[in-house]
Amino acid sequence: MRYRSVIDMHVVNRMQAFGWPPVVGALSLLLVLAIGAIVGSQGPDARAGMYEGMTWNGAIFAVLGPMIGYGFTSMGQYFPLALGLGLTRREFATGVSLVFLGNAAVYSAVITFGKIIEVATGGFGLQIRFFDVFYTGTGPAWQTLVQTFLLILGVLFLGAAITAAYLRFGQPFLWIAGAVLSMLAVAILAGIVLLDGFGRGLLELLTMSWGPWMAVIAVIGAASAGIWLLLVRRTQTR
Amino acid sequence: MTAVQTRSLTKHFRDVAAIDGVDLDLDEGRVHGLLGRNGAGKTTLMKLLTGQVFATSGQMRVLGEAPVENASVLARTCFIQESQKYPDGFRPRDVLRIAEGLYPAWDRELARELIGEFRLPEKRPIAKLSRGQLSAVGIILGLASRAPVTFFDEPYLGLDAVARRLFFDRLLADFAEHPRTVILSTHHIDEVSNLLEHVVLLDGGRVVIDAEAEELQAAAIEVSGRAEEVREFVGDADLLHLQEIGALATAAVHADRGRAERARAAGLQVAPVSLQNYIVHRTNTAVEQTAAIS
Amino acid sequence: MLDESKPLFIAVADQIEDGVLDGTYPEETPVPSTNELAAFLRINPATAGKGLNRLADAGVLVKRRGVGMFVAPGATDLVRRRRREDFRQAYIAPLLREADHLGLTTQELITMLTEEAPR
Repeated sequence: MRYRSVIDMHVVNRMQAFGWPPVVGALSLLLVLAIGAIVGSQGPDARAGMYEGMTWNGAIFAVLGPMIGYGFTSMGQYFPLALGLGLTRREFATGVSLVFLGNAAVYSAVITFGKIIEVATGGFGLQIRFFDVFYTGTGPAWQTLVQTFLLILGVLFLGAAITAAYLRFGQPFLWIAGAVLSMLAVAILAGIVLLDGFGRGLLELLTMSWGPWMAVIAVIGAASAGIWLLLVRRTQTR
Repeated sequence: MTAVQTRSLTKHFRDVAAIDGVDLDLDEGRVHGLLGRNGAGKTTLMKLLTGQVFATSGQMRVLGEAPVENASVLARTCFIQESQKYPDGFRPRDVLRIAEGLYPAWDRELARELIGEFRLPEKRPIAKLSRGQLSAVGIILGLASRAPVTFFDEPYLGLDAVARRLFFDRLLADFAEHPRTVILSTHHIDEVSNLLEHVVLLDGGRVVIDAEAEELQAAAIEVSGRAEEVREFVGDADLLHLQEIGALATAAVHADRGRAERARAAGLQVAPVSLQNYIVHRTNTAVEQTAAIS
Repeated sequence: MLDESKPLFIAVADQIEDGVLDGTYPEETPVPSTNELAAFLRINPATAGKGLNRLADAGVLVKRRGVGMFVAPGATDLVRRRRREDFRQAYIAPLLREADHLGLTTQELITMLTEEAPR
């Protein structure tokens, strides 16, 4: 099956594919553990406060962040080579989708595994949170699995969709997308400042329960995937 | 059977017509030269035929089928693009390994030999290769793929004389043993003219010449002698090129029946016009005609 | 290596003919194959093949199925006879034209030829 070549391309850079994410992840975990050790030495109160505060600890993004870059690279660098070697856009899309699914499956499993250990050992004995945070879900383990899987997959497709749109529409796309996003930000800010109850409503919306949030992530991911698939079928090389 | 067939093929980039109503039939199992100046539309034509870009209008067939998104055609088509981009960190060996999985007729032994002959550092990142080494990656890929239809877009860029000859000899030998359709675009016309069987000259996205190389090699003659006599002999015949130095003149004219004999009888020197010079003359004529029309 | 003033396939045929004339390719022996010839002369195999076929059509070469092309029996004489005919066209006619330009008489020309000819 020719789409397997697309997967092969993605693992040529072994460090990029398998090396850096664990290294970067391990380093940031070490950093958090070090912070935990320092804060923990100041007594149980500080330790409890830290455990609470670290719910919002974003160190896990050291692992999740590069994923969006991975989406960019697939479209920006592997697409021209795939077409140059005679693969069809359909074969490329199939291969890339499998790469993305594999990535999401492996990393969500690793993170869930980390979370189970973290919870069971009381934050690795130091009362820290690395895996068991807001972004990966502080609920039961299966929720973390589902949440990180959807999050990673959504981010990968989003990156690919943005790059595909850029390849398709060129520089103007970046300008227009940037303008739309900043207008949206200004509108929200204006709403919070000017409209009574807007800010509170927004806060309620943002703190909705786990289920709806997953639906939102799934919708964003599916929309990105859909747009990407639509665009990639019409993308030309330069 | 025709390897490549196009009808009214047109490709616009915004409002520029890169390919403008091209009708071509390229026979299978031959070496075709796709010639023309930079920006004439050669690369765009090859990109269209390999499904890299989409046509604005018109039809095309490669090995009898529409090539766009057609895996069965694309697996039998190899396009060596002068400006092919490779992902960061890729080494020649990575590209060749992946290509091996995509071309059914891939010859690993040949690829090995060529890497040695071109002295390609296969483990060095492609980003750090010289322009000539980058061209060698494409040449090795194009030859080892043994694809029934192989496009070479400016395979000579940056190659030294030894490597250029190596490419020529290897292409010739491999083509002789494994006949296939080769479509070769190059500015080094003199170097490949004995290899070409059929020539297509593009200018401004249109086909200016579509003829057998043999016909073109005999299509024009160069007559030289005293300027007066040359002018008188040429008369109002189709003049391709005229150059005067003092009382002497050289003119390239279409070699109509018996013209060479008449020139000799008129006491003029007659010399053949090489394919390269003929192409240059014809390209200039096309430019003048366009200028005259607009 | 090849005469560029005539079509390539004719130049190829002429070169093989030269070989037949000077004994490089004796009668009943094989001549180079299309691909060998193409590689040696750096020309397209189709052109090389066309040159060989031209000689086969003229009776200079014979095809032996599965083995290749061989110099035909009697080919040397055949080539020599035709070349002599061509010699008139290619050399004698221009010679006379040039002699005429220079005001040389036929008698003077014959004298010159006799003097130049090796004993």
